[in-house]
Amino acid sequence: MINTTYVLECSINGKAVAVSVPASKRMSDILRDDLLLTGTKVSCEIGRCGACMILLDGKPVNSCLLMAYQAAGKEVTTIEGISAGEELHPVQQAMLEEGGLQCGYCTAGMVVTLTALWETNPTPTRAEAEEALCGNICRCTGYEGIFRAVEKCGLSMKREGQKPL
Amino acid sequence: MLLGRDTYAKKWIIRPDGEEKVTGKLRYLTDLTAPGMLHGKVLRSRYPHAWILSIDTSKAIMTPGVRIVVTAEDVPGMNLFGIAFPHQPVFCHDRVRYIGDALAAVAADTEEIAEYALSLIEVVYEPLPVVDDPETALEAGAIKLHPDGNLLHRTSLKHGEAETAFEGCAHIVEETYFTPRQMHTYMETEGGLFVPEDDGRLTVYSPTQHGYKDRMQLSRILGMAEEQIRVVSSPIGGSFGGKDELNVQPFGALMALKTGSPIKMHNSRRESVISGIKRHPMRIKMKTGADHEGRLIAHQVSILADTGAYATLGCEVLNFATEHAIGPYNIPNVDVQGTSVYTNNGVSGEFRGFGGNQVIFSVESQIERLAEKLGMDSWELRKLNLRAPVDPGPMGQQIVQTEGANQVWSKVKESPLWAKRGKLKRGGESEEQQDQAERLQAEERDDKCEDQVPWIRRGVGAAMVMHGAGLGLGIPDHSGGRIELTPEGKIQASFGFEEFGQGLYAALTLMLQDFFGCTAEDIRIVIGDTDRVPSSGSSTASRATTMMWRALQQLKPPFVQALLQQASALAGLAAEELATGAGGIHRKGDESGMPVVTYAELAEAADAAAKPIIAHTEFDYPTTPEGLVGAHYLYSYASVIVEVEVNMLTGRVKVLQTDHVIAAGPVINPMGFLGQIEGGSVMALGYTLTEDAVMKESNYVRHNLDTYLVPTFKDSPHTIRVEAIEDLPEGDTFGPRGVGEIGSVGLAPAITAAVRQATGIWVNRLPISPESIVQSIDWLEGVEAID
Repeated sequence: MINTTYVLECSINGKAVAVSVPASKRMSDILRDDLLLTGTKVSCEIGRCGACMILLDGKPVNSCLLMAYQAAGKEVTTIEGISAGEELHPVQQAMLEEGGLQCGYCTAGMVVTLTALWETNPTPTRAEAEEALCGNICRCTGYEGIFRAVEKCGLSMKREGQKPL
Repeated sequence: MLLGRDTYAKKWIIRPDGEEKVTGKLRYLTDLTAPGMLHGKVLRSRYPHAWILSIDTSKAIMTPGVRIVVTAEDVPGMNLFGIAFPHQPVFCHDRVRYIGDALAAVAADTEEIAEYALSLIEVVYEPLPVVDDPETALEAGAIKLHPDGNLLHRTSLKHGEAETAFEGCAHIVEETYFTPRQMHTYMETEGGLFVPEDDGRLTVYSPTQHGYKDRMQLSRILGMAEEQIRVVSSPIGGSFGGKDELNVQPFGALMALKTGSPIKMHNSRRESVISGIKRHPMRIKMKTGADHEGRLIAHQVSILADTGAYATLGCEVLNFATEHAIGPYNIPNVDVQGTSVYTNNGVSGEFRGFGGNQVIFSVESQIERLAEKLGMDSWELRKLNLRAPVDPGPMGQQIVQTEGANQVWSKVKESPLWAKRGKLKRGGESEEQQDQAERLQAEERDDKCEDQVPWIRRGVGAAMVMHGAGLGLGIPDHSGGRIELTPEGKIQASFGFEEFGQGLYAALTLMLQDFFGCTAEDIRIVIGDTDRVPSSGSSTASRATTMMWRALQQLKPPFVQALLQQASALAGLAAEELATGAGGIHRKGDESGMPVVTYAELAEAADAAAKPIIAHTEFDYPTTPEGLVGAHYLYSYASVIVEVEVNMLTGRVKVLQTDHVIAAGPVINPMGFLGQIEGGSVMALGYTLTEDAVMKESNYVRHNLDTYLVPTFKDSPHTIRVEAIEDLPEGDTFGPRGVGEIGSVGLAPAITAAVRQATGIWVNRLPISPESIVQSIDWLEGVEAID
């Protein structure tokens, strides 16, 4: 087997990391296997389900489709980097309060996508939310609880006058 | 009452396992690693049906980084598994019967090496003709897949004389229905970590719905005492019935014992599709007759189920389908015949609804067709024939009486969504009526759907479900639980049930608070670990909530008595003056909120006296007194109403709104209840509109979520409303019924009824293909209209 080691240097959840991996290794595997950040899940491996969603320079991407070299020099945020220490992100809080999760296996990816939406468009219409979220599959909730969470975090943000991050 | 955070504010709690999930901190069993672990991979068959002439693993084992290669020869115990009866080989050695059959497994330093090594295993096959259809499988000349032939199971349910009774019917409807091979599509694919312990025991961290059953099966395979195996089985990233049967456990366990190293396994989605069980595809012929007034007289049913290569729960699913093929109706002459057949197709097994989904689609479709023949409203037709609380169950058996059937069906009539139906009349009417309907429909086009155009049509439909809970008579349906005061002073409940997303922790937390008046902080819950929990039976068949509630009813008196006696001695007050509450034992009538003795003090005293405060219970799920195999005793009821929009140009059906009414006794955990119905509803939406694990010559055509289409956000209805009917007759001792399945059963026939109303097209095959809609349109009519 050919050993093509490559040093990936990027920022993960605000920390500079250098990890020695094959250049073609998928980001989802680097996160889960090399860095033990198992909050990022892998379910379909083809960018269809969104369980592996991370933020790359703030934009949601499927980490199963992202090769190591594509993340070089960029800022990666995983589910582990969404909450600020012990304090939950409003999206996480809303998901909890509205029953936006059941088995939880899609939840990390869902929260990552929702966070990106919340930062760009905190009070989306139903159609905008559908469009933003249609790359994330949930097999448990029927999406209703997640929509309630979308509404809730939009509304609560308005009410409390919070600003996007 | 309509379920929601406002209507159920008091019990609308954040699930105890929620925070770990939204932060990604929760370690699923497939996330676990161990020092020195190896990666396991399984070689699956190249052909759906073949003789195996030889398996040569010599090149694979020589590969650097490969630690072990195992085949059938390496299985120390029974090389077979299966929940109901074990006949599926762990490793095939002489013949493969489906594309998911395993021939060998490899453990290596990395997953890549293990996968590479699989490609070096040389198997010489002699392909055999494929039996890919249950009908041809039963033909006299068909090649036998198992020693006893291709028939797995037959069922029969008869009352009266259906054959002759049709002669007296004024209207008869005869139709065949086809239902798809649905895939569970749990987001977490099968896998786990298998750890050989220093003391010779084996720990299995692998998702399953029944840890004790896995332990028993593994003990037979490994030739090892059950007590030597510990199965840790929760948390689970979804199951829906799909992880009740063994999947990777035999391979991981075997290789862990042989290598002395922990083995990690995690199926790719492709492997999960190939090897995992599916919902039984069924062909259901129904002939149903009624008199002039619409009274159902005769019902003849023939069910043909494709169980695939091995049995797993094929018999039990067919039993359930047979029992439920009558729906909640009183029909004097009934003849149901069921047949479950082996083929070389993927293995069919347990799936949410357990055979009810297929037959309820069929029987409810029959009712719609009959109503139209009779010129009768289908609501009235159901109402006329609906079972009364005193009526026996579908098998003539005694069942627990409730008003459920009538309650859920009456709610349909009251629903604003159903009221729309009157305005959207269509199909089988005169032209004048149709024109009138068109006009009314145009008026209905409100701002909800701005892009309304003539080729978009709307319709409303409803259906009704009666669903048995528990495994049914004839399958051991044992349960039990334990409650104790821990040394830290926590009330700890232990059950053998599993958390796969349904909200068991939340339901049990709420129940414990309700039973003991304590707070969530006073509670500890232990589940999903055979070393730490009593056997409670499987977390299936909508039974866990009912069984936990029943266990607590039995555990409460001895446990509370022990607590109060201890407290009485400590506080110098009569036990009769005391009660359990927040933080400890309170004096009755004391408004201070301060316990007279805390749970921690009680625990300390119990420890000092060496008298642990603990209670156990064991019991069986309630069954009907008659000895009818498969018969259920407890039933829950549901009605579902949907509004659909059909695009006549693309053939696409969109569901706009879905209303579910569920009669399943008191709601324990409203967020969980709502979530189960919403989730089941959207799963059923996929079943009705897109999901089919198509097989061609017994090979899967769709291997991943790019071609096997489960509903996304965009496909789910705009609104799902869930109403719970909670009341039970006075003196009902069975309490809350589970709702894990019932939300997924009745949607398909409600949608097809709505499609009929919208378009005049009858659907008899699921999922509804857009082609079937488009091809049914009379294009000439359209051309004329343009002229």
